Order: sequence, then structure tokens, then C-alpha cells
Amino acid sequence: MTAPIIDMKSLNKFYQAYQALYDITLSVEVGEFVALVGPSGCGKTSLLKILAGFEELTSGTLEIEGKDMRDVPPSERPTRMVFQKLALFPHKTIFDNIAFPLKIARLPKAEIAEKVRQMLDLMHLKEEYLTRYPSQLSGGEQQRVALARSMVSSPSVLLLDEPLSALDVKLKKSLQAELKRLHRTLGTSFVHVTHDLEEAMMLADRICVMKDGHVLQIGTPNDIYYRPAHPFVAGFIGDTNLLPATLTYSQNGANFTAQGVSCAAAAVQTTQLATDLDADHALLMIRPEMITINADAPKNCQMTGEVEEFFVKGATIQYRVRVQGLENEVTVETPGTAEVPISVGQTVRLNFDLSDIFVLGA
Amino acid sequence: MRIKNMSWRHPALQIATLPLLTVLVLFFLIPFGMTVLLSFQVTKLYQVAWSWDLTTWKDVFSHSYYWVIMARTLKMALICVVLCVFLGLPVAYALVNRLPSMENHVKILIVFAFLADAILKTFGWVLFFDRSGVLNGFLEVLGFGPAASDILFTPTAAMIAMVYNLLPYTIFTIYLSMMRIDRDLIAASYDSGASKLRTFWEITLPLSKPGLLAGAVLVFVLGLGVFLEPKIMGGGTSPLAAELIRQTFETRVNWPLGAALTIVVIGIGALTLMFFGYLLIKTTKSQGGNT
Repeated sequence: MTAPIIDMKSLNKFYQAYQALYDITLSVEVGEFVALVGPSGCGKTSLLKILAGFEELTSGTLEIEGKDMRDVPPSERPTRMVFQKLALFPHKTIFDNIAFPLKIARLPKAEIAEKVRQMLDLMHLKEEYLTRYPSQLSGGEQQRVALARSMVSSPSVLLLDEPLSALDVKLKKSLQAELKRLHRTLGTSFVHVTHDLEEAMMLADRICVMKDGHVLQIGTPNDIYYRPAHPFVAGFIGDTNLLPATLTYSQNGANFTAQGVSCAAAAVQTTQLATDLDADHALLMIRPEMITINADAPKNCQMTGEVEEFFVKGATIQYRVRVQGLENEVTVETPGTAEVPISVGQTVRLNFDLSDIFVLGA
Repeated sequence: MRIKNMSWRHPALQIATLPLLTVLVLFFLIPFGMTVLLSFQVTKLYQVAWSWDLTTWKDVFSHSYYWVIMARTLKMALICVVLCVFLGLPVAYALVNRLPSMENHVKILIVFAFLADAILKTFGWVLFFDRSGVLNGFLEVLGFGPAASDILFTPTAAMIAMVYNLLPYTIFTIYLSMMRIDRDLIAASYDSGASKLRTFWEITLPLSKPGLLAGAVLVFVLGLGVFLEPKIMGGGTSPLAAELIRQTFETRVNWPLGAALTIVVIGIGALTLMFFGYLLIKTTKSQGGNT
């Protein structure tokens, strides 16, 4: 395995007395697509600005391409940024916007023209746009121009600061696909900041979930979804069920007891346990789609409850079920059917498999 | 509906512009028309004689003396514009980029200096530049001997006072333009590898152009009409157009000639304004109407 292209070690960032980032250790491999995800104010944008060189880090080390980045200004870093508001130069034509980094690098004119043309093809932009000004283009086209300007000088890392957040849903979807294609074709490392975990799951090889300046978890989309290290991560995407439980460790896993849940053999494997656990205050996570409702198929575990509400979501139907002894309702999601088979107030049997449980710390 | 898209014939627009229109007609167009009419008369025994001929205008065009003064006025105004722009640019840039914490303090200081009476300020400069004034006292302490600087009552001194009095116009117009530049554009330029100087040249300066031109126009128009500074600081040795017109009206009591000279100054100002206006329209157009 080659050395990572970005290597951060115990990075801290203070704004006067306010600490924005706590002890961030994160590395990005060559050609990897990493998403920084978290609610606003979690420090993801600060982290990106530190990578780009617009903010100084307070302590810790940051290496890009094996070089220490302390005191290296943005203009001399091998990174390029795509800004949230795009920051296209309004007084320059599309050609001059895309060619700007190349002109700064004093490339010969013919080479600049050639590279701009390549970018145009890559970003599916029309040639007639070259003489226009950014304000004469649509939002999606401006987005492509901004990407082209960032990619034209073949940077080794592309930093994306929520560039899709201002777009409408349909355009967003098509540009997400575009980003993924771009990443695959170019092989550049991408660091993508977003508050949308779904977007991160769709695009990234690895996701770094942040909250209040701390990294909660770094992992693949499946790690984040099926094996969250923290209740916040578990609840950040989609709905989930977290049932309080106590554990007693055994040879190859743990036995658990949880209110309202009765299982044939209430035991889970070691792989189903999060690393950081308090045996007396653990949480069983079961995704809503793992639970069946009044189904005949054999499952190890069972709960009984009363349906409080259901929502028809098209592809799926979601039920909220009140289970005796549990503070929160249990959410169940089943494939959609033309008729809703269960009505509000009905007592139902919920089943799930032991292997679908993941245990994390409270 | 945006006013831009409305026909000038629209009744609402006509009513809305009526007060301004009245003021402009009463206090600008009518006096200007009277000035034009006056320039076609002659003066006899300190009285305006209604002759309706070109005698006065022939007088204007046959005396090179007037045109020397006009050329000097134009030159002074243009130099003043250049100096005000070059001094205003770094001040505005510093206000926006370097002194964010002191921005308001500096702005208040500039406004105070701007609002102080021009006569007072100009006489302040006289005391500063006087043979036994602050500057010479300071130079003497430094060992340059007594009365080392002798620029008071020269065109240079007049220019210093003009620039001092008109500088706030360029500072503020350029400042307003620069403040509106999105900080991300500057960041994007650094991110693209550009140095600070290159970023200023490629991004900050072109995007400040509207404010720069507006400030230049203001200073130019005001500079064409300066009266106080050349009289007090210049010592009256090389009069400018405003002083010439005042003398023509007051001392020589030749109203038609004064009117004709006034129209010449207005003409020079208007032609230059049209040129600047053309430039302004061109730059805003090239930005796709984004400003």
C-alpha cells in the first residue's frame, strides 16, 4: 500500500478560546473519495479550509503528498477547492475562468487551449459557452465550470465544500452521478464536505462522521450504516431502533437482555459488538427494514406491540409500534403493498434475526 | 415590474420622477439656458447689451490666454484624478482587507476630515507649508536649515490641497466596490495558485472598476471647478477656470464673456464625463450585467 496523500495527526483548531476541532486523525489514500459529514457547526468546513490552507491549524501535523503543510500558503498546495458558492470570476469569460490556474502557472497558450478543451469535453460543456460570462449560464452549468476550473491543472487532491447544497433535488442527483463518474475517470483524491449523509453514502469510499469538532467514526458507507460506533451516527441516516440492553461477555461474543425483546438464545457474535462498550449501558441497533411484522418466516427474536401510526412512503410502508417497557416506539419498514395490511391500534408481532443486531455504546 | 423594464411614458414613472424633474429644470436647465443666451450678448460700459451676435464667442476663441487657463484646469483636474485614484486604492484596499477590526474607526476619521470645512482645512495646509510653518520647523530640526521647503503658493501646493480635499470621494467609491467583492473569489484565486499581487491585478482591481470610475468622475468634475485651493494655496499666480470666471463676472463685470467661459468649462466636463460613462457602460456590459 502506498503512502496516504493526506495525513492528519492529532490536529486541533482553536478560534481564540473556542475549540473547533479536537484531535483529528485522518488519512486519505491516493485516489480515494472521502466524505466529511456532520451537522452544521461540526467543524467539517474548518477542516477543509485547513486542508486548502485558508486556516492555520493550532496543533498537530498535516502532511499532503508527504510534505508538511505548516506555513504553506493555499497557492502553493497541491489541492484545489470547489467553493460552496462556486466563486466563478464574474468579469472573466468561461474560457478565462477555466484557464485561470493554467495562466497563473504560465503554460504556453496552445497547451492552455488544449487543456480547456479537454475539460469542456469531460464536463459536457458546450464550446459556445467559452466566450460567455458565468452569469449567462444556468446553475448546473456554472457548477460544471467550477469543477472544470478546479480540475484543469490536474491537482492531486480536490476539495469540495458542499458544492451541491444549493441546487434543486433533480440537478443535485445528476451532478452527484457526474461527480462519481469524474472521480472514477480522473483517479484524483476527493475530499467532499456535505451535511447530507445520503449523498456521502452514494459517493464516498470512506465517510468521516463529525460532530462538535470530534470525529465520531471513520468507515465505509456500510460500516456507517450497519456498524455505527455511536448513537448519533446510527441516527444520522434514515430511521433506526436503539433498544437499551445490558451485556454479559462470553467466549465468542456477548449475551444480552433487553426490555421487551425475547430471543431464543440472546447472544451476539464479537463482530456485532462496537469496540467502545459499557456492558451495563449498551444499545441494540436494529434497522427498521430488518424487522418483519406479523410474518410467518422464522426469526430468532420477537417483540409484541400496538401500532400507533403508519406512513405510506410509496416503495415502503413505515409503522410506529409501541412496545411495552420501551420508551421510544419501534420503527418498522416493510415493502410497500397496494393495500395497507395493518391498521392503527392493532396488536402486532415483530420479528428480527439475531444476526441483524449491532450493539453499540450508549 | 422592475423600473428598468418600464417605458419612460409610464404614468407612474412620470409622477415618481416629477419632483426631481422640477428641481433639475428650475435650478439646472433654466439657469443653463439663460447662461447660453447670455453668451450671445455683449457688454458696454459695464452693462449687458442685447446684441444677439457672436462677438463674445469670437472673443473667447481669439484669446489664447483663456485656453491656456482651460488647459491648465483640465491638466490639474486630470492629475488630481490620477493622484486621488492611486492614493484611494491602497486606502480602500487596506480598509477592506487589512484593518477589519479598525475599519469603522478609520472610516469615521475620514468622514470627519471630509466634513470639516474646506476653507479651514486649506488654511491649515497654509500654516503647515508656511516659511515658518510646521513643515519647515520640522525640516529645520532635522538639519535642513531654515525655510527648506518653499512650495507654498505654487501649483504643487494647490494640487496637494486639491487631492487632500477630494481624496475621500475616491476612497469611498472604491471602498464600496471592493467591499462587495465576494471573499471566496479572492480565496479561489489564491487556491488557483495566484500570488497576492496577481490576485489584486486579476480579481480585485477589475471588480473595483465601477467604483474606481465613479470616484474618478466625481473628482474630475469637482476638480474642474476648484476655486479655493488654487487661490489660497497657489497664491493666485496661476489661476484656474473657476477663478477666471469669477474675475470675469465680478472684477471685469463682463457677464456675457463669463457665461461663455462657463459653457466652455461645462463642455469640457461633459465631454470627459461622456467618455468615462462610455467606459463604465463597457465594463459593466463585459461582466454580463452582474454588477
